[in-house]
Amino acid sequence: MSFTKYLLPVLIGVCLTSFAYGQLKFEQTELELHPSVADANAVAHFKYENTGSKPIHIASVQTSCGCTVATLKSNDVAPGDKGEITATLNIGNRTGTQTKTVTVNTDDPAHAQTVLVLRAVIPTLLEVQPIFVFWKQDEEMKPKVITVKAGKDSPVTKIAVTSSDPDIAAKVGPGDGAKEWKISVVPKEKAKLHNATLTITPDNPSNPPKIFYATARVINPGGDR
Amino acid sequence: MRRFLLRQVLLLLALAFVPAIGEALYFRNRISWQSPVPDSQLVTVAKAKGWGTGALWVDARPDEQFAQEHFPGALLLNEDHFNQQLPNVLAAWSPDKKVVVYCSTKECGASRAIAERLRGEAQLKEVFVLEGGWEALQQAAKK
Amino acid sequence: MNWFWRVLDIVIGGIFIYAGVLKVVAPVRFAGDIENYHLIPWTLGVRLAFYLPWLEIFCGVALIVRRMYAGALTILLALIVVFMSANAVAKMRGLDIKCGCFGHASDNLGFVSHVALNLAILAGVVLLMRRTKTAA
Repeated sequence: MSFTKYLLPVLIGVCLTSFAYGQLKFEQTELELHPSVADANAVAHFKYENTGSKPIHIASVQTSCGCTVATLKSNDVAPGDKGEITATLNIGNRTGTQTKTVTVNTDDPAHAQTVLVLRAVIPTLLEVQPIFVFWKQDEEMKPKVITVKAGKDSPVTKIAVTSSDPDIAAKVGPGDGAKEWKISVVPKEKAKLHNATLTITPDNPSNPPKIFYATARVINPGGDR
Repeated sequence: MRRFLLRQVLLLLALAFVPAIGEALYFRNRISWQSPVPDSQLVTVAKAKGWGTGALWVDARPDEQFAQEHFPGALLLNEDHFNQQLPNVLAAWSPDKKVVVYCSTKECGASRAIAERLRGEAQLKEVFVLEGGWEALQQAAKK
Repeated sequence: MNWFWRVLDIVIGGIFIYAGVLKVVAPVRFAGDIENYHLIPWTLGVRLAFYLPWLEIFCGVALIVRRMYAGALTILLALIVVFMSANAVAKMRGLDIKCGCFGHASDNLGFVSHVALNLAILAGVVLLMRRTKTAA
């Protein structure tokens, strides 16, 4: 198997070239953030240093989505200079693990492009499932259940529900677990079409308070075209 | 020796096909063979427009972009204000409507995320991601 | 020294079986990992996602049970070369991605330790190959 004799140096070469970082060296190209339930933003600081002997110009910094903003103090990095790219993810109503990338383009020919990865694990305050219930006018108006669960580290201990339509009743009851509730929703009449927004207010002290909504409708059996 | 080796390689390559095909059959409905988003959940501009009033258009871009310009009749629903904006979308929905979600470009992930949440949290069945997003809509308008 | 080669067979075979099984249980995720490399189109990648893990498992088993031994070694060498080259190409293009070789069990490994691990596996495979050659 003489080809291993030739293949091996080639392989090692391939691996070594992958080590050939540019002069603009990032401390970390991937950051995982764990914002708290009260945070409105998740902020990642990508620190870099120009370890080369020539100044580098950062031509552009692009983010993968409008919800992430990347800022940079200076576009020109002199040899030995340090700096950071700040990437801010607006959490909004995002849930779960959000992965966003920031693409940095420089005039450094050895490493023109670096992709920075920001991963934010967003804590769950409340999980509402399903967020929408409906009845067709020709069906029986049986109560439907919306389950509300507080996340693992959620400070929520109690929820309150109000319905925007007096003909659709919503009542909170205990759920299967300690931090779990069941909202029983039922229309009181079906002669008319109804559209109720159920406002679910947790007792958490976050400011501004995070409010959840669910929708309950009585719809025309043939659609409402 | 050479031929002996070749036969072993080919045999192993062939053997691995057996369970692979079995597994692929098992997963055939849970993965798309054509694109990273299952085909059944993607729709082209022409097809979505063809649905006429049977389509409920949802704009998953940020508020400012929606305010600037959006597809006629489209409703705003992005992850920044998902909770507040969703009731508005659900009020316009009816069982005979197909939801078409778009964001700015082909690469943007917002429309997929929104479509996923409409399917999961709101339990809507017919939710589609518009191929090419807002960019494709504008190109189609130019033609 | 025979026991040394046996142990090496089992270790290398085991690594590939482990890597294969991790991916077999989550082919959709592995397909996504392949897609992340932006090297081959999805249509091809998704098919490979079902095939490659099984190939790794079969070759790993072949090493341990010593059937079709030389064939398995050859395939494993090719696989590791492909993995490493794909990794290197991705790195050069500035894509900082998860390799995916070990499913997501290696998410916490840095790039350098990943390369080191790959090199170690490669060295093991090459050693076993040299030995088969001298034995044959």
